[in-house]
Amino acid sequence: MKEIWVYDIVEKVTEALLEINIRSDDLLRQKMLDALVREESEAGKEMLTQILENYVVAEEQRLPLCQDTGMVTAEVRVGSEVCIRGGSLRKALDEGIRRAYREGYFRKSVISDPFFGKNTQDNTPGIYFFTLEEGDSLEIDLLVKGGGCDNITTLGMLEPGSTPDDVERFLLRELDKKASLACPPLIVGVGIGGNGAYALFLASKALSRPLGSVHPDPRYRELEKKWCEDINRLGIGPQGVGGRVTCLEVRIETYPCHIASFPVGIVCSCHVFRRKTLRW
Amino acid sequence: MSREFILKTPLSVEDILALRIGDRVFLNGEIYVARDATHKKMLSEVAQGKELPFPVYGSVLYYAGPTPPPPYAPVGSIGPTTSRRMDSYLAFFLERGLRATIGKGEREEEVKKLLEKHKAVYFIACGGAGAYLATFVVSWEIIAYEDLGAQALFRLVVKDFPLLVAYDAFGGDLFEEGKIRYRKIFLYHWEASQKEG
Repeated sequence: MKEIWVYDIVEKVTEALLEINIRSDDLLRQKMLDALVREESEAGKEMLTQILENYVVAEEQRLPLCQDTGMVTAEVRVGSEVCIRGGSLRKALDEGIRRAYREGYFRKSVISDPFFGKNTQDNTPGIYFFTLEEGDSLEIDLLVKGGGCDNITTLGMLEPGSTPDDVERFLLRELDKKASLACPPLIVGVGIGGNGAYALFLASKALSRPLGSVHPDPRYRELEKKWCEDINRLGIGPQGVGGRVTCLEVRIETYPCHIASFPVGIVCSCHVFRRKTLRW
Repeated sequence: MSREFILKTPLSVEDILALRIGDRVFLNGEIYVARDATHKKMLSEVAQGKELPFPVYGSVLYYAGPTPPPPYAPVGSIGPTTSRRMDSYLAFFLERGLRATIGKGEREEEVKKLLEKHKAVYFIACGGAGAYLATFVVSWEIIAYEDLGAQALFRLVVKDFPLLVAYDAFGGDLFEEGKIRYRKIFLYHWEASQKEG
């Protein structure tokens, strides 16, 4: 049995949220610089330059990279040999969010009920997916993204027996309509299989992967690369102003599915890609 | 090369008619910040016979919801939010002389016709660059609906706030133009060729 104290979880979650909302990932900076080199459109270059400037200003002035500091999502994998001491894991995560969003002067964007709620004033609760795993480790994938890019989330129930080309066509069509609303260049998560609800979870899970990660299966790795290139051929460009760079990465996650269905979930992150994995 | 304009609010019709999509504009003066709940509140108050809390004629509305300003910085992060959610409120303000809105992303087709009719433009600022854009804000104050938090109505004084003209007053659309110019994949042809193959 491994004992993990809630105060430790609270502290690490707070620290991580303060960091990812203010400081951009080094690899993200590199990717944005590469994008600036590759971009041909003048307006697109201007947008990428401002994005790069933003990294510097945010860090220097300790301001959040984006005013939309999101509703925090966490995928939590708990080993069966882990014992959480001193309180509940869910409450610890909420407390971490509460502290980070107060200390960081981040925007509180959560309302307690879609119809009848008020702002909770501390950005809690977060959205948690708990899974039980073997072993004695605890892993928390934190993901912060704004409402704008979440609004382009799409679920497609395609024909059973769909091919990779069918899925790509669906993906391109959807992004062609909606990408400009979600602050491109985007990170695109595609979940294929399971059922409708699970495909969207898979797409969200795909976004939790670190930057630069690829699918372990070479067939999917190929598709991730091809789909990303084809999205970039749509011409939407940074912020939708036209250009070569619309997407930085496509990530695919799959799961077995029912013979009668072919669910495809699309969940995107804007260019302010904020994630971190915490491990015990 | 794109053209550059330095403008000061309130904007005149002449200012607007000089602009074309893709132009870079550096905006100065007072602008008003409102988003979803702010719009809803303003319209409901007008329906009750109250006056609008800001002078609309010649003004510029910025769709945004800033972060609270920390004690160590003059303003919080303040980048644009998705404009499309405010499309249904736009006509109301254009009829009262609003000259421009600032946001991000494509809008409904209807918006282009409204802008043409009322001689107004749609600017975009860089989404997700809230800290950078805050450096162009000289001062800010809440002028109404403080209880709405980030959705309150703010008045900002901005200096050389960097914008691009996305929709001009002649039906131009930067997003459409961009796609036409940079598209390398043709969805319908591609679909047809995939089927034949």
